[in-house]
Amino acid sequence: MSTVMNTGFLPLELLRIIFALICAIVIVFGNAVVMGYLERKLAGRFQRRPGPMEVGWHGILQLAVDGVKLVGKQLIIPKQTDRVLYRLAPIISFAPAIMPMVVIPFAPKLQGRDFDIGLIFILAVVAINVLAILIAGWSSNNKYSLLGAMRSVAQNVAYEIPMLLTLLSVILVTGTFSLRGIVEAQSGGAWFIFFMPVAFLIFFAATLAETNRAPFDLPEAESELTAGFMTEFSGMGFSLFFMAEYTYMFIACSLTVILFLGGWSGPPLPYGEYTSALWFFAKVYALLLTMIWIRWTFPRVRFDQLLNFCWKYLVPFSLVHLLVTAVVLKL
Amino acid sequence: MTTMAEKGEHRYILNMGPQHPSTHGVLRVILEMEGEYVMDPQPVLGYGHRMHEKMAESRPWPNFLPNAARMDYLSALIYNHGYVGVVERLAGIEATPRAEYIRVITSELNRLQSHLLWLGVLVLDLGAFTPIMYTFEDREKILDILEDVTGSRLTYCYMRVGGVVRDIDDKFVERTREYISWQRSRMPMYDKLVTGNIIFRKRIEKIGEFNPDMARRYGLTGPVLRGTGIPYDIRRAEPYSVYPEFDFEIPTETTGDCMAAYLVRVREIEQSLRILEQALDKLPAGPAMAKVPKKLKLPAGDACYAVESPRGELVYHLTGDGSDTPYRMKIRVPSFSNLSLLPELCRGMLLSDLCACMGSLDLVIPEIDR
Amino acid sequence: MESKDSVIAAFKKIPVKVEEVDFAQRGYHLEIRLESSQLRAFAELLRTGNFYLSYVSGLHLTTGIDVSYQFANYGFPCRLLAHVSADADNSLPTIADIFQGANWHERETKDFYGVIFRNHPNLKPLLLAEDMEDLKPLLKKEQALKDRAAITRVEKIAEDKPAPAVKKEDA
Repeated sequence: MSTVMNTGFLPLELLRIIFALICAIVIVFGNAVVMGYLERKLAGRFQRRPGPMEVGWHGILQLAVDGVKLVGKQLIIPKQTDRVLYRLAPIISFAPAIMPMVVIPFAPKLQGRDFDIGLIFILAVVAINVLAILIAGWSSNNKYSLLGAMRSVAQNVAYEIPMLLTLLSVILVTGTFSLRGIVEAQSGGAWFIFFMPVAFLIFFAATLAETNRAPFDLPEAESELTAGFMTEFSGMGFSLFFMAEYTYMFIACSLTVILFLGGWSGPPLPYGEYTSALWFFAKVYALLLTMIWIRWTFPRVRFDQLLNFCWKYLVPFSLVHLLVTAVVLKL
Repeated sequence: MTTMAEKGEHRYILNMGPQHPSTHGVLRVILEMEGEYVMDPQPVLGYGHRMHEKMAESRPWPNFLPNAARMDYLSALIYNHGYVGVVERLAGIEATPRAEYIRVITSELNRLQSHLLWLGVLVLDLGAFTPIMYTFEDREKILDILEDVTGSRLTYCYMRVGGVVRDIDDKFVERTREYISWQRSRMPMYDKLVTGNIIFRKRIEKIGEFNPDMARRYGLTGPVLRGTGIPYDIRRAEPYSVYPEFDFEIPTETTGDCMAAYLVRVREIEQSLRILEQALDKLPAGPAMAKVPKKLKLPAGDACYAVESPRGELVYHLTGDGSDTPYRMKIRVPSFSNLSLLPELCRGMLLSDLCACMGSLDLVIPEIDR
Repeated sequence: MESKDSVIAAFKKIPVKVEEVDFAQRGYHLEIRLESSQLRAFAELLRTGNFYLSYVSGLHLTTGIDVSYQFANYGFPCRLLAHVSADADNSLPTIADIFQGANWHERETKDFYGVIFRNHPNLKPLLLAEDMEDLKPLLKKEQALKDRAAITRVEKIAEDKPAPAVKKEDA
């Protein structure tokens, strides 16, 4: 996995990429299982109940059983759906979620491939999810699904802007789009969260909206739109959306960690070039837990409030932030 | 709010219910939509219609007792209270003082659990999952207390003409006192978790413009009415049972929005606790059941009995003809009138606000359908 | 209107037959008998007097269908029950334009008794299904019908009503 092995032989390089992809898929599924369990268990604890307890020790095998159930379920395709698009939508949502894993630097020597434009690559790939949601909503031929899809598009387009603007502040400082470069720029504890906490908050809020998490989970607002764009999906169709959501959360939190929390940096560990991935995952899961915590605490915002919050607060603040960063750098 | 939606060219019909998470039961609302704006919501009733009024006419009056609980499953004891009240009034029977106190105590416990369920469900409608689990925890305590004395947890058939079927004991009194102090200790938490939540406030403040004139036109009663500033509560306006003996307030708000209805209900929880406390202190000794003729015939004539259910004014109007079967019984349920203003109230609203409005009306659909 | 007496005085204008009844025995304060032609004027009077409509219901008698309207007031205790006999063609004027809440109550009464409310904006079945329009569940069979006298309170009952519950303390 190290870049030292890159000797120019194509087969070796190809093998490396394939191996990285396999690892990426393992991480994606592993993350979905861990998150599924954590979310249910934590939601239980927040609500003064034990959560899953029946399957395995403290319900630890619950997700495996759920997985078997979802795979075994009939995939019901309602009449009058656009069948091709309906089948395609969960795949379009899930497949791009694997790709960013290849460029994420988990540790100095644990990275599939370091692109010069790694950050842009991730943002581009992740944006495909909006398309998948729109396709899902449209092809279901259900008004609730369509409303959910419309909300999703409006919301994602809106929140992409403050997210990119805060990214630019970081890029101005580091001068590179390479994820490894950004992490190395923060070495020695000089994390960007200490220099630009406002950018961190804006970015985190925007990622909540981008991943359709509460309190910004309007595309699937259960009490209004039954399940939004997922209404008509069952079995594996549903579970692919489900896994995609957790994966996008993981990617969003990874980005936050890389950009603001110093990536893999932390107290030195033996074999630090590999084991410091521990710090990376610790930070990512701390953020994910925060997301879960927020979800089970707050009510959902209304749609106009959501967009107002973005256009009236986040966008101006991030613009000002960008300006201030630029001025400070110039001085 | 309606500016973009006045032309009506791009309207479409959205069918909400009868199985929809925020219609709470088998209510169906046909929404004429324009984008996300609801232009014309029309409720469709009758999915749970059982014709209780006909059942009342076709069987001797004691056989209707269990039916009373099955209209509004959240305030079954208050429905019990109204029914035995109207029979007692028509037949000229008086319940024993102890029975009246027990009726008030159990009714108020019933009201509390209804309000607690509503509190959780309203917040659930707005997208927060956690508070409902907290209110259920409180509610369980009430249900346990009531189960001990009535034998059931939801559809009680506890009150009888002349009294109640089982006397309460010291254990009941003690557990109720424990519950009162528990509930008091929980209210600050709800204040922080729900009332003080900025998203929650923004979602229901200035949503739903109830006003006294609209209330009169539609016959609105209950906490939503009190949210418009009218202190109208049957327990005060037409006192029944032993309510005049207790010192309690009728909470009101003046803004007339969903937030006002919310605040009124939350404050009513404290008032119910006060009534409970006083009733337990004053609880007289004596029998819990008066001597009532075994074969009681309903005399010719009619009588009304109005009680305050958690949702508003509940009226039983019983007409007897000298036999033991009622000639006619009309049941006026609060949610029926409260829901009928939905089309006027929610015109031009966002879909999310419609859910908030229906949540704060606290609808119980089996009660409307009867 | 601020009190029960002023309400009674106002009714003299229409004029309707008002009877004050004992609240403790009947649960309402005023019983009123109306002609169907007076109904709308009566409702408008109550509307200006800040009453609200509690319910509309029916009663099937040998003479036809009696529709009763119950009103009450938020401001002072005055619950009144008005009876109107439906016209010969089993219809009555609607009051849904005066009290919008009557809309559903009248639809319900139509469902149960088949009373037509003239000029009602939308007299479709409310609680019953559309294809059950002929059912009329609360109409009684001929042999079960009673006349008004049979369901009117005989005053002597009020005097020697069953002895109030004997308290068990002495037992």
